[in-house]
Amino acid sequence: MMDDIDAMFSNLLGEMDLLTQSLGVETLPPESSSSTSKEVNFTMGFADMNVESLNELEENDFDALMADLMADLSATENKLVAELEEQKDAKVANPDLPAPPRELSSYVVPSLSTTTSPDTGLNTTYTPLADSHIPSFSPPQPPQHEKPSMEDVEAQIKSDKIKLALEKLKEAKVKKLVVKVVMNDGSSKTLMVDERQTVRDVLDNLFEKTHCDCNVDWSLSETNPELQLERGFEDHENLVDPLSAWTRDSENKVLFQERTEKYEVFKNPQNFYLWKKDKKTLKDMKDRDKELLVEENFCGPSIIVPDLEGVLYLREDNKKSWKPRLFLLRASGIYYVPKGKSKTRDLVCFVQFDNVNVYYGKEYKNKYKAPTDFCFVLKHPQIQKESQYIKYLCCDDSWMMTLWVTGIRIAKYGKSLYENYKTSMAKAQLTSAWNNRSTTTTSTPSTSSTITNAKASGKANGYAPQPPEEPVANIGIEPPPPPPLPPAQILPPHPTVKRSPSPNATTKKLPSLPTKYPPSQATIFNLPAPPLSQDDISFLPPPPDSDFPLPPPPPDPAFCPVTNRVPKPAPPPRQLYMGADVPAPPPPPPPSFTPTSSVIKTAPLPPKRTTPMQAAPPGGGDFMSELARAMAKKRANQ
Amino acid sequence: MAVWDLSVTLEDLGAEAPPITVSVTSDLHIGGVILKLVEKSQVRRDWSDHALWWEQKQQWLLRPSWTLEKCGIHADARLIFMPQHKALKLGLPNGLTIRVRACFSGSVFRTVLGICKMLNIRRPEELSLLRPVEEKKKKKDKDLSEEVYDLTDVPLTSVHSLCDPVLTDLPSCLVSRPCLYNGMPAHFADSPKTEKVYKIRWLDSSRSLMQQGVQENDRLWLRFKYYCFHDMEPKYDAVRLTQLYEQARWAILLEDIDCTEEEMMLFGGLQYHINKLSLSEPQAMTSTPAMDDLDSALQCLEVKLDVGGSSPQDLLVRYDDSKFHITPKRLTLKGYKQYWFKFKDDSISYYKSKEESLGEPIQQINLKGCEVAPDVNVAGQKFCIRLLIPAPEGMNEVYLRCENEEQYSRWMAACRLASKGKSLADTSFQSEIQSIRSFLAMQQTNPSTNSSQTDDNINTHSLVSPRYSKKYKTKQLAPKILDAYQNVAQLSLTDALLRFLQIWQALPDFGLSFVVVRFKGSRKDEVLGIAPNRLIRIDLGVGDVVKTWRYNNMRQWNVNWDIRQVAIEFDGNVNIAFCCVTADCKIVHEFIGGYIFMSTRSREQSDTLNEELFHKLTGGHEAL
Repeated sequence: MMDDIDAMFSNLLGEMDLLTQSLGVETLPPESSSSTSKEVNFTMGFADMNVESLNELEENDFDALMADLMADLSATENKLVAELEEQKDAKVANPDLPAPPRELSSYVVPSLSTTTSPDTGLNTTYTPLADSHIPSFSPPQPPQHEKPSMEDVEAQIKSDKIKLALEKLKEAKVKKLVVKVVMNDGSSKTLMVDERQTVRDVLDNLFEKTHCDCNVDWSLSETNPELQLERGFEDHENLVDPLSAWTRDSENKVLFQERTEKYEVFKNPQNFYLWKKDKKTLKDMKDRDKELLVEENFCGPSIIVPDLEGVLYLREDNKKSWKPRLFLLRASGIYYVPKGKSKTRDLVCFVQFDNVNVYYGKEYKNKYKAPTDFCFVLKHPQIQKESQYIKYLCCDDSWMMTLWVTGIRIAKYGKSLYENYKTSMAKAQLTSAWNNRSTTTTSTPSTSSTITNAKASGKANGYAPQPPEEPVANIGIEPPPPPPLPPAQILPPHPTVKRSPSPNATTKKLPSLPTKYPPSQATIFNLPAPPLSQDDISFLPPPPDSDFPLPPPPPDPAFCPVTNRVPKPAPPPRQLYMGADVPAPPPPPPPSFTPTSSVIKTAPLPPKRTTPMQAAPPGGGDFMSELARAMAKKRANQ
Repeated sequence: MAVWDLSVTLEDLGAEAPPITVSVTSDLHIGGVILKLVEKSQVRRDWSDHALWWEQKQQWLLRPSWTLEKCGIHADARLIFMPQHKALKLGLPNGLTIRVRACFSGSVFRTVLGICKMLNIRRPEELSLLRPVEEKKKKKDKDLSEEVYDLTDVPLTSVHSLCDPVLTDLPSCLVSRPCLYNGMPAHFADSPKTEKVYKIRWLDSSRSLMQQGVQENDRLWLRFKYYCFHDMEPKYDAVRLTQLYEQARWAILLEDIDCTEEEMMLFGGLQYHINKLSLSEPQAMTSTPAMDDLDSALQCLEVKLDVGGSSPQDLLVRYDDSKFHITPKRLTLKGYKQYWFKFKDDSISYYKSKEESLGEPIQQINLKGCEVAPDVNVAGQKFCIRLLIPAPEGMNEVYLRCENEEQYSRWMAACRLASKGKSLADTSFQSEIQSIRSFLAMQQTNPSTNSSQTDDNINTHSLVSPRYSKKYKTKQLAPKILDAYQNVAQLSLTDALLRFLQIWQALPDFGLSFVVVRFKGSRKDEVLGIAPNRLIRIDLGVGDVVKTWRYNNMRQWNVNWDIRQVAIEFDGNVNIAFCCVTADCKIVHEFIGGYIFMSTRSREQSDTLNEELFHKLTGGHEAL
């Protein structure tokens, strides 16, 4: 019986191999003339082609597509081969090993953090086709267990074969779409997206193709011209799902654009969570307080939804009128208060978020006679045409609209939203670190993090925990209580979570980032060059050594945000200035920059991609060094 | 030095026994007094737990080396010699009462540490003791013959020793989730709302039980006081998690915290699920063990092959024998037309007749992402499934009418799974059918048969607050709860508990403790809400939040103990001051200090509790 199964799997494996190979071979010649034959090939593997008919594709689109496809296939091939070899080598595979990778796209940022030990699995799967989706998959070597018995070994081998077979089955069934993405400038790029890819994967892919700055605002969104709707996809969504809902004749588009509201809630949480406060307080919010707010609302056991309530106009079913109503947002849905009822007890559920997405409505003043153009819409993603099941709401101004849409997204997606943001930040920082590597000196994240802590505790401005001081003023017997010891530090330190601050914060704090930390190989903190304001100039660090060899990328991007926590007003502790008199920072032991596999694994961009990027930052670099020189001068004068 | 007589009552001899008189001098220390006393009493026993209590001053004389003079004791002092640890009836959040031996001489904070250690509750700083609501109407309580679990024999180890918890396997009462009294306990339901919410009955955590007038065998409640639950780890926190769940559950059922109907139904569904799970496996705090790899791989393969669908699987065949009626709602109101239905993967196909079911269906409906709702009237033998199926043009409303309960249960379960994108091969299919059946059974019970409920039935009214059990009849309530239950039915017991707590914590009013205060410069009483991260000022008349102050903008706070006023200064020169009306200002002071203490705990820190800091932040007078 077992033998039968075994034989069956062997057969299956063989067949699958053949199948994949034949696919690869057939699609190999890129200039294969008959488009129909290609279409046949595509439809075999990629069932649903309703987004973009291949016939409509232009020549260059097609070439690009072919390249993608080939990379795809050879990647799969390589992966499988590598896997097989590995199995041969190490007769015993660990059953706990992660299943073969599901993602084809290689530059999933979170995976980077797992590659801290450079000696595992470097040798496996690097393929020359560096620029498209190549799996950066590297199976960790099976831990050396004590020798298992023969049966165990056999069972292992069997189960591995099963897994392999499963993998191939999956591979063959993966649904793929050819998607035309409209760029900011109106041009378009055509991509192959398979159903396992998240929006994040596709964005990463687009980053490579477009040489954009990879900041966190870049997003993919869909538009529906018929309903005049627009929605930014969330990074964790699968792209194929929502696209599959489009109708065959749909004029919907996928856009690649910067959307500042995408992660605004993490950059300026006070505007969402304390929106009732006056504008000035919100504007003067300290970065530390912002971090606290994010921490409070996104890092607890449950996600806290902004406390939103206000009058919105609701488009009445089938009527052309918009009626004002008092709406409230709760984690469980949107509610309204019926006329004459109390706000706390008689809430009526308007909609829950399980089955609907939130969209921006465009120009509804014209289309639906809305009171303003600031409308948002809740509907099931499948609904593509006018229907009574679509809910239309209209806000007084654009800010209220952003508030509501963001609030709904928080309620609907919860923690994923924050995870997405952290991933985006890591990606953006890594990329710009990479781009700015020649103009920035370095600092180890760990060093700066200790400095941050030292400062925080050295300054009793309300954040330090310091138990030793009298914390509370409790006045005893004397009636007119003179405030005793200034019990300044009432505030909790929240030392737990160091989170990446918003990009704004990054720029603001920039000047206090001392370049004279013990240099290391990491350049994480890239200075997002452009947005330096004038008054920051004097604080800037001395000129970085421009001959500085390219440092390898940071080992663990997850740590880099920490470096930004240095509070701006506080000068760095004395000892940090040790190097201030030294004209140029001591160059770190020049890490020889060779494109080893470790570099490729950690770096988001393959080396050749960086060349075109050089064009962008040079101005920034000069500016930077100028500022730095000014800074050094100032220090010397002190 | 002059010798004088000091009379001391020995509590152990009984209340009527005359005091023992010992001759002392003013420079005799307390230890010496005790020694003389014990000698004179002629009672041989272990006196090590005993200490002197000074009745007039309401204080313990706990320092043996202090002299009488230093303590200020003269001949008129009435001293009682009594044990420091005494029995206490402790009401737990899950409604059970236990008798424990608690320390009456240390601060309540330390007493709670000791109790929590015995009960194996981590993070004891989050809990405290409070006086129960007075039980006015005794007669209502009569039928609830209260069971008291006596734990007084359990030795209380010193709080200092950080050895293993005393009770390794706890009495199951601590993790049990009894469905209490099938409704509200009388004393809960009776207390007027305002009193319950605004009257803060917490004990002062920096003074001892004795000092606060608590007597032996008195009843106190142990509750979570600070609403920030640090580092909840189901593996170690079985008791903590259960008790917290019970406290949250009662807060919701008693409407201490407002929630909407939808939220209430979800809470109801979760409670139903949790009750069911804890009945079937009382101690199942299990995290599902990772499935055997080979098994899961095979299973996965099986499912995948099914989906491939080259050959019909017998797994699905058994659903083909069901006949169904269907009508698109818009066509006719009454006429259901009969079709042959087939359920496959996540789609329904229908045919004119069984014979044609091998060919092309009239229509195939994919149920993924659709809304499934029951439309059932058991008495009228109406078993309909209402499907709202999304399509580009909107939602299509489809009603499926089943012939009987049995058919309905299976098809309903299948539709629900399919709407979540799961196939019938999913392991939850059978349990889904079961729960639909039990909810159907619930609707069958009419008043006359109410007494003979089967075990499977649940009392829906014990799952929702009185507001909703008044608003709906059982048979209206049941489908609503079932509906919510479907979304959580897959959760393990621990996950269900955690989910319950999560939703509770996401409620807008979560974590607020209220106290009526009078702000400086204001003439009317207002309500101050104290939350883990902020203070809010509420207009008592309207119930609106007027102002919010966050702790991280707080520079300092002061308490003037003489005029009992709390003054707080915030960033930007914002100063507020208020006097407390329904509670002592010490309680407010403790809350603020306590929350600030809670936020200083971090994950990196070990389990050691910085008691000194807590005392400094909450102590008041005593801390100075």
